[in-house]
Amino acid sequence: MSVLELLLELVLMPIVAFVIGLFMVLMMRKIGARLQRRVGPPVFQPLYDIVKLYGKRTQVSHGLMHDIGIIMAVGGYVAAETLLPMPGMNGIAEKGGLIALLYVIMIPSLGLALGVGQCANPNGSIGISRALTAMLAYDIPFVIVIFGVAWHFGTTNLVDIIALQQAGGIATWGAVEMPLLAIAGLFGMQAMLGKQPFEIYVAPAEIATGPMVEMGGKYLGGLFVMQSFQLYTAAVIYVTLFLGGGENWLFFLIKIFAVVAIPMSIAFLFPRYRTENLVGLLWKWPVMAGLIGVALLMY
Amino acid sequence: MKEIQQIPVAQASRTNPFARVFDELTAFCRSRSMFMLHYCTGCGAIELPPAMTSRFDMERLGIQPMVSPRQADILLITGYVSVKTLKRVILTYEQMASPKYVIGICSCTVNGGMYWQSYATAKKLNDYMPVDMYIAGCMPRPEAVIEGLRGLMERVRTGEANGWEDYYRRYDYYLGHQQRLFGEAWQTPTNVIQEAEHYGLAGPETEGEHTALLRQHQQPLEPLEMRIGLKERV
Repeated sequence: MSVLELLLELVLMPIVAFVIGLFMVLMMRKIGARLQRRVGPPVFQPLYDIVKLYGKRTQVSHGLMHDIGIIMAVGGYVAAETLLPMPGMNGIAEKGGLIALLYVIMIPSLGLALGVGQCANPNGSIGISRALTAMLAYDIPFVIVIFGVAWHFGTTNLVDIIALQQAGGIATWGAVEMPLLAIAGLFGMQAMLGKQPFEIYVAPAEIATGPMVEMGGKYLGGLFVMQSFQLYTAAVIYVTLFLGGGENWLFFLIKIFAVVAIPMSIAFLFPRYRTENLVGLLWKWPVMAGLIGVALLMY
Repeated sequence: MKEIQQIPVAQASRTNPFARVFDELTAFCRSRSMFMLHYCTGCGAIELPPAMTSRFDMERLGIQPMVSPRQADILLITGYVSVKTLKRVILTYEQMASPKYVIGICSCTVNGGMYWQSYATAKKLNDYMPVDMYIAGCMPRPEAVIEGLRGLMERVRTGEANGWEDYYRRYDYYLGHQQRLFGEAWQTPTNVIQEAEHYGLAGPETEGEHTALLRQHQQPLEPLEMRIGLKERV
């Protein structure tokens, strides 16, 4: 592959991911609306929101870290997209692998923590401390899942993992061969997306949207962009590890939208756990399922 | 309102040939995406849940509730504002990011409504902050609320809803009314005059006798004391 081709892929992959992410946000809001027997927003609503937020004339900055925090939050996901293979485009996925991806998708949370820290808003500080606690909670099952998958396929290379699953057909998909790990991964994804019942760090009625409380204008716009990337990233990681990646664009889109629809449909039916309940729950059930799954793989 | 329109506004020169396209796109997106901060003070709040939930569903118009003034575009005041409440409403309004719109729902915000005799109620909301849209009624039904919001959307799209600019252009006028109610020592954490200069909206009516009084009493804001743990009681 030539350098020019690689550069083109590195530019194209985040853009495609963003567009798909916008439709995922739309789907999330539509599912919420349908479950509440409403019509829901129009098709381009996520785009309207983002354009409007960037078009705001007041941009209240609380300092340099506040600006850099948002850039880290979006940039972390932009970097993650180049490590995630999509049909026809691998980017630098072969060079990165699962371990690098694991590190890169932690950057947004840390960037957000830095940025929100400078706002000095108590609601924001509580929110971000909850977000980092939640990260501590869901990273344990997530790491177990990634270890199990890497052990099973004997590689951490995402391109190889996809190729191995596609060569064997549905019977060799991760979800079929490692059902317990797939369930643990689904649990972890619900918490990673911060959806109910694990919505502790947004909690609009309690801490006024937590980390977002001091964000207006382009800062909130940045977080909206981050949300689209976040949905896309979580879905593609899951599809890559357990559902055989995308054979072509049609199957790829069907799979990732189906995967995102699961946590969304669950989310709007639940209230919210407290922080200690969330940590207890995530360290108990998905970890247990994941460890049993790994044990079954090894013997 | 006539004298407001006569104030010349300095337009920054636009060199980008697509500037007009971008402006129209932004105005359209602004009208189709409104984050609403509802300051529900009176009984008018009862008519908002049906407007937001499955019966009338505001989200299909792009209107959704937000919880922090930094994120909001519309400040929705539903009912009478007492003198004490009005202080909070003004603090909230000044923290919102421009362009920002105020909607007064119910008769109480128009002329005091059934509280017109009360000593503790601010009668006309637009004495204290520029109101873009009044939705009269006691209380207006959800249909009326939606109709009013659609009217505001249309005004935002065509660029007519610029009441927030009026707040910066004629800050002295609004501050005068605020001082009449809250006393001479009234001040908010936001430096409105500086913001007016930042937007290029500072005109002859931004400063006057009331802002002079404000400067006289104004105390510089100090950061809150950072303290961990509770004070021990003796």
